[in-house]
Amino acid sequence: MLQLARVVNGVITRNVESDGNVYVYVNPSEAERKYLAETFKLDEHTLNSALDPDEQGRMEFEPEHVAIIFKRPHNYSSEEEFVFRVTSAGLFLFQDKLIVILSESVPMFEGKAFTRISSLQELVLKIVYSSIAHFVGHLKVINAVSESLEDQINTSMQNKYLLDLFSLEKSLVYYLNAINSNSKLIERLKLSAAKIGFTAENIEFIDDLMIENSQCYEQASIYSNILASMMDARASIVSNNLNWLMKTLTIITIAIMLPTLVVSIFSMNVEFPGRTHPSMFWIVLFFATVSVFMVRIVWLWKRW
Amino acid sequence: MFKRSVTQKVVVANAAGLHARPCLAIVNTVRRFKSRVEIRTDREVVDANEILQLMSLGAAEGTELVLTATGPDAQQVIAALVDLFANHFGLY
Repeated sequence: MLQLARVVNGVITRNVESDGNVYVYVNPSEAERKYLAETFKLDEHTLNSALDPDEQGRMEFEPEHVAIIFKRPHNYSSEEEFVFRVTSAGLFLFQDKLIVILSESVPMFEGKAFTRISSLQELVLKIVYSSIAHFVGHLKVINAVSESLEDQINTSMQNKYLLDLFSLEKSLVYYLNAINSNSKLIERLKLSAAKIGFTAENIEFIDDLMIENSQCYEQASIYSNILASMMDARASIVSNNLNWLMKTLTIITIAIMLPTLVVSIFSMNVEFPGRTHPSMFWIVLFFATVSVFMVRIVWLWKRW
Repeated sequence: MFKRSVTQKVVVANAAGLHARPCLAIVNTVRRFKSRVEIRTDREVVDANEILQLMSLGAAEGTELVLTATGPDAQQVIAALVDLFANHFGLY
């Protein structure tokens, strides 16, 4: 699917019909990939890298363009059971146009960052910036979900919430790897600034990107360490909750067992003194009740 | 004490639906108020204060949601949520 946009005189116009200089391809079809490779001389391997979620961020110089593969968070859906994944995206910057390759539809060029775009080079940097902001947003969600799961674990006896926490831990490993990969890419962008045609203002923005990305990495790293270090404690809480339930059930079982024993003894089909006594029912009931109180007294004495 | 209840319908306008970041934005908005808020789709009802429930809702673009707030500031929380939906959850 192709969406066209135009950057003219510092303003980006989305969804133009023609004369666009920004081409956004979302999950391009085989025919579109062939067209891109033949018309714009995009390397097929690099094009596939832009759609491969396992690809690392990188930059390649071609005769007519520079190819930038960067990492961004995968759109989360409820079927994913708290596994936040990452995906790749590609930017192919030519002298007069920019081709953006995405594996899934995301709102492009939205928000304050895109209100003023002086050049296609600046647009590239702002797209990378929006990816970092997206990572930061997802990290906040991961933190909120983790807190909510912890609350559930405090009273839970199931593994479900623990497994969800493992999913979050796994997600953070994906994120750390992706953010680290982006940081290498941003460093390379700065080193190749002259070759790509970045202005002094753009280089200043790259410095900001580096700071933002490193803060994002640290945040992900802290969340990951917290989750990993507390996992054993949380598993113990679930186990402990289960032990408490077993203890309660045991109390109930013993409390019922002793009066049952008393009644059973008197129910034996043998002769015993006072069998025909008119108050024998109440006497048996009395001994059964006393046995319950005895269990209670022993329980308190032993401090079980 | 009588608790005021306010109901309002909203439509998810985001292309990606009610995904991770919008859910957090909803929870953060609801937590600023005292009222309890429920979000109802045609399939289920979830507590808007619980991110785990919200994220399991899986409301896609165009889904109609019914927001019901019960409490002393029900009107305000509903107004804030309607504003949030209209502004694409403050993401852009």
